[in-house]
Amino acid sequence: MSSEMNISEMLAEQVNRLLGATVNRDLRVKAENGMLDSSLWAEIENLGLTRAMCSESDGGADLRWAECEPVMRLSGAHAAPVPIGETLLASWILSSAGIKVPAGVIALATTRFAMDGQGKISGRDPGVSWLNQSGHVVLIATDSQGHDHVCLLQTSSLPAPAGLATIDRQPCATLECDGISTVQKAPAPASTGELGVLPYVATLRSIQMAGALSQILSLTIEYANTRVQFGRPIGKFQAIQHLVASLAGKAAAAQVAGLYAARQIDAGNAEDGAAIAKSLVSRYATEACAITHQVFGAIGVTDEHSLHFYTRRLWQWRAEAGSDHWWSGRLGKQVLSQPGSHLWEFVTKAQPATTLH
Amino acid sequence: MNPPFSFSPLQLPDALEPLRQEVRSFLADASSQWSGWKIGHSWTGFDRDFSLEVGRRGWIGMTWPAAFGGHERTGLERYVMVEEMLAAGAPLGAHWFGDRQSGPLILRLGTEKQRQHFLPLIARGEASFCIGLSEPDSGSDLASLRSRATRVDGGWRLSGRKVWTTNAHLCDFMIGLFRTGGPAEAEKHKGLSQFLIDMRSSGLEVRPILDLTGEGHFNEVTFDGVFVPDDMLVGTEGEGWAQASAELAFERSQPDRYMSSFPLIPLAIDAIRDNAQADRLAERCIGGALSELVILREMSLSILGQLEDGHSPAKEAALVKDLGNTYEQNIPELVRELLDSAPRIVPDNKLSELEGFLVQTVPTFSLRGGTREILRGIIAKGLGLR
Ligand SMILES: Cc1cc2nc3c(=O)[nH]c(=O)nc-3n(C[C@H](O)[C@H](O)[C@H](O)COP(=O)(O)OP(=O)(O)OC[C@H]3O[C@@H](n4cnc5c(N)ncnc54)[C@H](O)[C@@H]3O)c2cc1C
Repeated sequence: MSSEMNISEMLAEQVNRLLGATVNRDLRVKAENGMLDSSLWAEIENLGLTRAMCSESDGGADLRWAECEPVMRLSGAHAAPVPIGETLLASWILSSAGIKVPAGVIALATTRFAMDGQGKISGRDPGVSWLNQSGHVVLIATDSQGHDHVCLLQTSSLPAPAGLATIDRQPCATLECDGISTVQKAPAPASTGELGVLPYVATLRSIQMAGALSQILSLTIEYANTRVQFGRPIGKFQAIQHLVASLAGKAAAAQVAGLYAARQIDAGNAEDGAAIAKSLVSRYATEACAITHQVFGAIGVTDEHSLHFYTRRLWQWRAEAGSDHWWSGRLGKQVLSQPGSHLWEFVTKAQPATTLH
Repeated sequence: MNPPFSFSPLQLPDALEPLRQEVRSFLADASSQWSGWKIGHSWTGFDRDFSLEVGRRGWIGMTWPAAFGGHERTGLERYVMVEEMLAAGAPLGAHWFGDRQSGPLILRLGTEKQRQHFLPLIARGEASFCIGLSEPDSGSDLASLRSRATRVDGGWRLSGRKVWTTNAHLCDFMIGLFRTGGPAEAEKHKGLSQFLIDMRSSGLEVRPILDLTGEGHFNEVTFDGVFVPDDMLVGTEGEGWAQASAELAFERSQPDRYMSSFPLIPLAIDAIRDNAQADRLAERCIGGALSELVILREMSLSILGQLEDGHSPAKEAALVKDLGNTYEQNIPELVRELLDSAPRIVPDNKLSELEGFLVQTVPTFSLRGGTREILRGIIAKGLGLR
């Protein structure tokens, strides 16, 4: 496993270098206007980033989720205006189902679609990230016998809807299918249970939020050490120090939670991991955004300052793929269906069953 | 782009499951007679008979060398035993401070004679320790303390006053921090030393201080020329501050910093079910509480792993204590929101007694072991705020 860990670290370093050198305000604004930067995307594909979790026969590195967690986290930490996470995840789902992974951007729907006797797909997902910028979209459809299928669709075969207004202003559109043919389909692997791909997207978002949180923590520390009022850096004021310490707690917990959900997927327990991580990280993101904006004062809410690229994403992501409220409710329902004595057992069994090492 | 803290995961191996089941089934029997009030005391509750039994089972000093009465088990095994005890609200107080703090200190810095004498006593549950740090004028600003140890023939004489000393009225020994150097104004952090003090020494007086629940669990301890022989100095003269700080850093991330209110949650779940109150609010609140607990546990385990690897993640440990204390403080309020219990403590009703006790006790969780404000200062400095 240690050689794979090296691939994982190497990959993370490459992503960090690439995104650090290329992502800037212009690129982010461009994406907010619905345009994907094709040269950055080409570099991402060249590095093999989006196929890191695919099998080797698909040109992938067969990495596990825990090994790809740094890549996903860095995409959040750089507020990268590219669908790295979405395509990485969609490619992994295709590869796990034995479907050949196409080149280019691949979007991912999280609602369940229906498949008729001719294999045609109908249904709706109210919001699919980067749909209009993608060549393909992956979705789960249920046939008349109740069997689930992983389906690959070409976006050129779909109506092209107008982009939706979102808080993060990242491209997003409604996917409507009314008897659309698939490019390819295969029986869904057992890992896509009742919730389809939702737990995986929720895990991706939790990890990306952890990245964004860690970045706003760094920005906040830097600002507190440099902004001078009353003759000294505001970071010298204890009130500010305590806000920053509290922010650090949220960021640390989010990072642990994101990796936890990734490890749970590797252990075959995607849903519990996602529920725990997404409910916690979304809640902590809310508190963290309030703190960081308080520390930054007025400059932090300007268009010119980069802080909003992170906080708007956090407000967006906390609500995507199941909000904190939705996942907490689902988890709580499960807990409340059994006597209280089961709770501690749940907690002690909540560690992923297999390890990386 | 690297986060300013480190939390690599630690996986508890499956091989620890038999130990967990062993502790769990022991507790299932032992806890049948515990009242809600007693469970609320958890690791501060003093029950010598219980500690003797725990000692007989080899669950005190688990990681210490056999030569000193220990059981040479791993930190992970100890963790599993501890979290099972805390989940049940077991009364650990008669051995907890020796097992968590004083024993490890003696093992690390004590003389051979101190180890030979004290560690086996602690491990059998026979010797209880209290922690003598705080003084009337020195709380958070501990290094300003004034109680003094003066050199005399063959040892030291202690004079001064300690306060808030948990269970001092029931304990056999104290590890106390005293000034051996110049005055606090001159050399604040220097010139402090730690002593092993027999609580039956003459000149030592213990006076319980009643707390708001009506109990006298902590105390004022006065020293009026108490003699301590030379060989009861712990570690190095003048190094007491560094020694005591290291001790505190170790204990900050353990499960007792987030599980003090845990036993209330299962009881509340049963009540919600019995009263058919499992609505959307209950589901969200209980689910949220569960997710925080699971992640706090992951964080605490990560720090255990880092300590076992020889690192000292002080900033991370402070982060976990801060998050953990807030969590355990929120639990009674969450239960109050869900059950809206009448403001009465119903005798023999576990849930009611436990809730009543915790509502009054949780304010102390972010005071003991370093206040929230002091911890946040440590975290902020660790993050590079100056
Ligand atoms: C239940 C309980 C058990 C205890 N058991 C023991 C024990 O066994 N042995 C022992 O030695 N001690 C014990 N203590 C004492 C405990 O360690 C102290 O309460 C703690 O160190 C705080 O000191 P203090 O209570 O004097 O509060 P103070 O230090 O006076 O603080 C009062 C308030 O001021 C804040 N404050 C103080 N300094 C600063 C600062 N620099 N910046 C910002 N805010 C500040 C504090 O955070 C707090 O909110 C116990 C306390 C409790 C509540």
